Amino acid sequence: MDLDKLRKTAAEIVSRDDVKYLIGWRRGTFGYRVSPHFVRDAAGADELIFSPLCISNLANYLTLVEKLPVPRGQEPDTRKVALMVKGCDSRAVAQLLAEKGIKREEVVVVGLPCPGMIDRKLLAEKYPETEQAAEIRWRGEDFVLVDGEEETVIPRAEVLAEKCRLCRHPNPVLSDVTVGEPVEPWAAAEDSGVAEIMAKNAEERWAYWEEQFSKCIRCYSCKNACPLCYCEDCILDRLDPIWVNRSVNFSENTAFHLARAFHLAGRCIECGECERVCPAGIPLGKLNRMLAQTVREEYEFEPGLDPEAEPFQASYKPDDPEEFIL
Amino acid sequence: MSEQFRPNIVAFLCNWCTYAGADLAGTSRVQYPANVKIIRVMCSGRVNPLYVVNALQQGADGVIISGCHPGDCHYMEGNFYARRRLKLLKELLEFTGVDPRRFTMSWVSASEGHKWKEVVEKAVEDVRAAGPFDQFQRRQIGW
Repeated sequence: MDLDKLRKTAAEIVSRDDVKYLIGWRRGTFGYRVSPHFVRDAAGADELIFSPLCISNLANYLTLVEKLPVPRGQEPDTRKVALMVKGCDSRAVAQLLAEKGIKREEVVVVGLPCPGMIDRKLLAEKYPETEQAAEIRWRGEDFVLVDGEEETVIPRAEVLAEKCRLCRHPNPVLSDVTVGEPVEPWAAAEDSGVAEIMAKNAEERWAYWEEQFSKCIRCYSCKNACPLCYCEDCILDRLDPIWVNRSVNFSENTAFHLARAFHLAGRCIECGECERVCPAGIPLGKLNRMLAQTVREEYEFEPGLDPEAEPFQASYKPDDPEEFIL
Repeated sequence: MSEQFRPNIVAFLCNWCTYAGADLAGTSRVQYPANVKIIRVMCSGRVNPLYVVNALQQGADGVIISGCHPGDCHYMEGNFYARRRLKLLKELLEFTGVDPRRFTMSWVSASEGHKWKEVVEKAVEDVRAAGPFDQFQRRQIGW
């Protein structure tokens, strides 16, 4: 990845009159961490990076902006927000557009073809001593850890994030500006964890999820980090009627997770944010991937590829499968 | 023991077809198990999947959802949406380890009182085979 070109492009975009700010990544303050970076002027673009650690999905910020009422006599700010996206992030943008959560004229999409991201936890576990200074880059298939003069090649299979192993769309599906060359999609891994669970019998599955859901502390990080959980009035927050009690116990946790997964059925673009941010380590991605797989295989629908597509649950076909109906 | 277990089944029935079908079964004196608690909704498309989750949480052993046959919906397309949605819910419940026999979906029209009877008989039999479902019940919070 040519960072100079990326920063130059970003500086050009933020200098435009119709752009409010650009959202990208910058080096975090500690170790391998990367934090979101809001670039408001050309000078800020120098801090932008795009490395194998930029795993977070910035599309979430598009819907997090608070829309305050405009004071009398003032014009609303109609400037665009520029956003740096990887393949998976661009699908979130496409899905938001399909659901009319955002308008196309509100965003400038800077597409970055993504050769695969690193799971920071795996990396810090395997290479803890270099955590302070090292920089990570791509080199061919693998990653390389640069620490001053020293270079360590890290095999791809060792630290590649799970969502990237399963990735089918590494190149942005939509973008206004693309930086970097498109990458060749790799063969998605088969072991998404779904078949493994489906191979168990019902009691074992229940026991597995009972253990997982019991760990939940109901911090709602999964909901907050998800780029597609953006309802202003969330059914899980509602107090009247109360659908899911706030008490932290297995029954309520299960209801919460079923509702959360269901509300993403046919919408989840598998960016893996929910699982990444979960402090309890619940494999939420498996729930989402199972539903995504059902939708893909039985309805031949994949969300987040076409911004013009009808949302899955808001459309139907007369010949949808109904073999389960008496 | 399983003979004594009386399943508690909640049925969400569409006002225009299955509710009328169940009514017909009643007026025709069709005998069917008394384990179902019928809740009338205006359309099967009105059934929020959280209704099902909530019913199971509040002590139901099984759930039936029934509406008009595809193409017969009073609101033209409500049952088509229900079909997609509840298929996904069924898959999700199955994936999390809820016995698939606890979830029954059917199309029963207003003239099919006998079909309603068969649906209920099958559901009761299935849920009885699956046993009581108390793992998921909402815990009472004592202060």
